[in-house]
This record gives sequence, structure tokens and C-alpha cells, in this order.
Amino acid sequence: MVDPMIVKIADNITSPLGFTTEENYQAVKRGDTRLQRFVNKWSLPEPFIASLFEEGTLESAFNHRVKATLPYTRFEQMALLSAIEAITRSGIDAASERCIFILSTTKGNISLLEQGVEGVPDDRLQLSETARAIARFFGNRAEPMVVSNACASGVCVQIVAMRYLESGRYDHAVVIGADIQSPFIVSGFASFKALSPTACQPFSENRMGLNLGEAAATMVLRRVDEAKGYWQLADGAIRNDAHHISSPSKAAEGSFRALEAVLRRCPLTEELAVINAHGTATLYNDEMEAKAIERAGLLAIPVNAYKGNYGHTMGAAGVLETILTMRGLDEGTILPTRGFDELGVSKPIRVTKECLTTDRQAFIKLISGFGGTNAALRCVKV
Amino acid sequence: MKTIHEINIDNSSAVIDGKRIDTSRSGSQMLTELYRIYVNDYPKFFKMDILCKLGFIASELLLQAEGAPRFTDRADRADRAILFFNHSSSIQADKAFEETIRDRSDFFPSPSVFVYTLPNIVTGEIAIRNHYYGETNFIILNERDDERIRQVTEAAFTDPTTTSAIAGWIEAPDNHHFTAALKLITK
Amino acid sequence: MELKEELKTKLIEALNLEDVTTADIDDNVPLFGEDGFGLDSIDALELIVLLEKNYGIKIKDPKEGKNIFKSVSVMADYVAANRTK
Repeated sequence: MVDPMIVKIADNITSPLGFTTEENYQAVKRGDTRLQRFVNKWSLPEPFIASLFEEGTLESAFNHRVKATLPYTRFEQMALLSAIEAITRSGIDAASERCIFILSTTKGNISLLEQGVEGVPDDRLQLSETARAIARFFGNRAEPMVVSNACASGVCVQIVAMRYLESGRYDHAVVIGADIQSPFIVSGFASFKALSPTACQPFSENRMGLNLGEAAATMVLRRVDEAKGYWQLADGAIRNDAHHISSPSKAAEGSFRALEAVLRRCPLTEELAVINAHGTATLYNDEMEAKAIERAGLLAIPVNAYKGNYGHTMGAAGVLETILTMRGLDEGTILPTRGFDELGVSKPIRVTKECLTTDRQAFIKLISGFGGTNAALRCVKV
Repeated sequence: MKTIHEINIDNSSAVIDGKRIDTSRSGSQMLTELYRIYVNDYPKFFKMDILCKLGFIASELLLQAEGAPRFTDRADRADRAILFFNHSSSIQADKAFEETIRDRSDFFPSPSVFVYTLPNIVTGEIAIRNHYYGETNFIILNERDDERIRQVTEAAFTDPTTTSAIAGWIEAPDNHHFTAALKLITK
Repeated sequence: MELKEELKTKLIEALNLEDVTTADIDDNVPLFGEDGFGLDSIDALELIVLLEKNYGIKIKDPKEGKNIFKSVSVMADYVAANRTK
């Protein structure tokens, strides 16, 4: 018997840079961003920089695209817009009992704590309820799951989906990563002094912290015996730093161990086109990732990060960034790292400033988050 | 998969491997009582939100039942996974943090409350305490579904590094209502 | 109340230092690090909130905190010199 393989058959990115993967890809290739300074937004006392949908655009896109009979929150509208497009492209029957929905989000409908949405029941504050509303929209009756591992969720969710499909219980998984920005999240990160007063600069000497962003990204995954022509989720690992609940390990213990695990079945690291890093542009995260890359012996592999285009999109980040990296390599492109200027980490990693071309068809997605959670995912196109 | 030890805690009782542990308090005070009697050397406990306190105490009692040397970097335990599931995510901390920002004229968002608005912090707290570098994962389900939990846990063991795990249901909507049903499992 | 005593009381409360009394905190003991009182990076951020809330002192850069929170004595001097309320 052939070991089953898990491949991505369709995807979507819905962000301030566009409503399709293609629009997003072209925007990132050009070096675009919607990062912008907000003053007095949500009556918050301090200005902040974030990548947000222009007021009303999400709602009008949703109303245009969907003739919904039920009310949905802004978070759900964004997630649904992304999922609808990916599912339509995939051609799968999302209502099938052989299909499961798995969400990745940190705070979902947290804004409902502050203010309700007319017609939306209060319990949609619960992540499982919002996941259920999304699955039910497509007529799917299976109980969905929500992976919530802080900022690392978007890669963890792919690993959970991959294993769940491998077990043979389902044929398809609709993996949706999504987070909307809110006073809750912005003031939380502000209290951590993690927000940059300028557009963020991953891995750079003068980096001053992260920017927040909102986005949804969807992957439709399928279990197959033959992966030819598709991007395969080849190996994934989640590891903990066992160091501190909010500061990454100086030795990059968790991130290194996750990297080591996904390299186990990849003896030829020369096959890797790029490591798509988390690259939040905080002092400690970027230094930690550089250390992990060095420890794993991957200093020769180009590194890029997309936070300069999107800010940190939380639960969406891991899904969005994996899709974007795949899309780039589809045409032999390693995307640039917007905001990067002069290397400001202690290890000589090769951060891409401009687009590079490559014929390699494999990469590693790296991610980390609060709670000491780190994850790595190796993807290969056969 | 084999269950080695099992702990069940609710707001008024703690039961390890079917044997009830003597307690006189209830709610979060019972967790403090258990901390005083069975742990008492980890003041970080008092900084934790209710979800973390519950997970911390449950894991401590589970690991004391295991009786193996604690806090070593021995590979067989350093690679142990922590796989938790619940319904309400970190709702108690979410509400507490929202309180610190609700009134914009008295706006002092608290970082030490904010950090607990991420449900997976409890897995990190236990990993830190025990020097576990293995997988940590937090998954939210609509209701407790032991079969689903078993399936996801079983799937986690396909990672060849993972040979044992603390896994199960851990739900703490507020200081007075909580349930932990955790197992120490080997491959 | 003397400022140092007041700071100790607020510190214990804000950082949930159970089983610690103001008498346990020496004016000059380092608050952070293994050899000192063992506070961590989240405690430091919480102390920044404490200063803003109680004394109207805004600290933008957490690195500044490192110097201010060396000990209760140092903190008290800083508060006395910079407080706006």
C-alpha cells in the first residue's frame, strides 16, 4: 500500500491587498502594502500602524458575493469570502460528510465582547460556534475544529489537518486561517510594547516591533495516492521552547527542534528554495529564528517574510504565508521581504530583499508564538 | 495508545486514577488548596488565569502519580507532548482583559492578563514547568467529544518524536466552573 | 505612607506575589534576575502599567524600564522625580 499524501488542491487569500491569491501574489511581488497609521481609531489613546480593510469594503464584497439569509460578523464574512472562493475553485462538495472544516484563529469574534452584532447570537463569541456557523454555511454537518495556538496557529492547523486526513477519516479538509483586528488585540500588543511606530522591518538592524493586520486564507486539502503536479504538505512538527510564556527561547530550542524534525526525511537541503520565516520584526522573534536556522544548518537557504506587506495577521499568518510561498514557487519566484534593509540579527541568514528566481520546488514555513509554541512545515511540489 | 494515569477535576473534587483526593474547598480555592498541599514550590501559580491553574494542578497530580524523576532533560520525557481540548477557549481571561480596556478614559490594558487570552498558554506553562520540548497543541471543539480527542491524540503520535503525552479536556469558563479530564498516555 | 512602602504594596498586588509581604522586599535587592527577586519580562511590562496608572508616568521603551526597576529604591527615586499625579 502506498502511504497517502496530503496535497493542496485550491486556495484563497482575502486581505487588504486583494480578494484572490493572484491579486495578493501580484501585490506582494510589487512590494505593495496597506500598512497605514491610524489615529484615534476605535477611540484608542495611542496611534498605531496596521493593515486593515478599508471601511465598508469587506461588507460590500460580502453582500455582493453572498446572498446570505443569516447575519454574520465581520470576522465570519471575511472567513466566508475566502472559503467560498477556495471551495469553488476546488470543485469539492464541501457539504460531504467526508469533508471537515478546521479553523485557525486566535481571537475570532472577540469584538462581540465589546459590542454585539444585530441578529448574531452572543454565543458566537465562542470559537467553536463561529466555526460551526462557517461550516454550516456550506451545508457541512461534521463538527469543525479550531486550532488556537496563538500566533503559531496557522501552521499548526495545517499539521493537524494533514494528520487527520492521513488517518483516512476524511477525504478533504477546508483549512481556514483568519483574524480581524480589534481594540482588544491592538491594546494587548501595545501593552506588550510590541508594536512598531513605523512600518515593520523584518530581520533589519533598525526594526522596532511588529504591525498588526487582518486577513483570511483558505486551503482545500485532499488525501491522494499520487501527488504529481500538486503542492504536498510533506512534513510538519510542533515543538515547545519550554522557556517562557511570552518571550522566545534565546537558544531557539523549540523552533530548532521543529526544523530538525521536518528535515529528518529531507537529507538534501539543497532542494529547499526558501525558508519563509515568521519574521514579525520584533527584536527577539527575528533573532530567535536566525538562531534556529543556523542551528539547523540552513544558513545557505534564502529566507523571506511577508509581515512588511500584511503586518501580523495572527491566526491567518501561517496559512496565508504558506499559500503565497507556493504561488511564488509555481512560477519560480522567491518573493521579497518588504521592509528589510540591513541585516540586524546575529547570524548571517540570507534575507531576500528583491524577487529571486529559482527552479527548486520545496520550502519550509517557520512560525512561532506566545506559549512557547513553534512549528515548521516542509512543502514539496512533485 | 495506552493510558498510564488519569485525573478528573471539577469545581468540587479531584480524582486521580479513580481515587478521590481529600479537599475541603471548592472552585479556584480548591485549586489553591491542592497547590498548597501537593506543590507549593512554584509561586508563578498565583499569576496564572483559571485555565492555567487548572491545567497546572491537574498535570502536577498526574505526574506525581507517574512517580518518575521530575524536571530532567531526559529525552523520553523532554519530548512529551501536551494536547489540550476545550469549548470556551480562554473566555475568563478574555473578559478580564476586556475590563481593562472597556473605559477609554480609564484605559490600562494589562499585559499579564492579555497573555492569558491565548488558550495555548496553559500548554506552555506545563512545558516550562516540566522542561518538555515536545509538541504542544490546543484545539477547540463544540463540546467534549472523547472519541474526537482520542483520534486527534492518536494522530499526534504519528510524529516519531512523540512517545508520550498529557492529553485531554480542560474547560474553565469561570473561577467557579471547570472540568479537567486529562490522561498520561504512551504510544 | 512612605513612597517605598507604597510601591512595595502596589507591586505585590499588581504582580500577584502571593506569600510576599512588604517586609520581604529589601529596598535595594535587584527586582529582576535569578540572584534578585526573580521578576520576569511580563512583570516589567506590568510595572510600566503600574507607573502610568498610579503616577502618570509614561514609559515608551521597555528597555528604559530595566534601569528604573533595578530596585525599589531606584524606582522610588524615579517616581518622586517624574510623577505627574
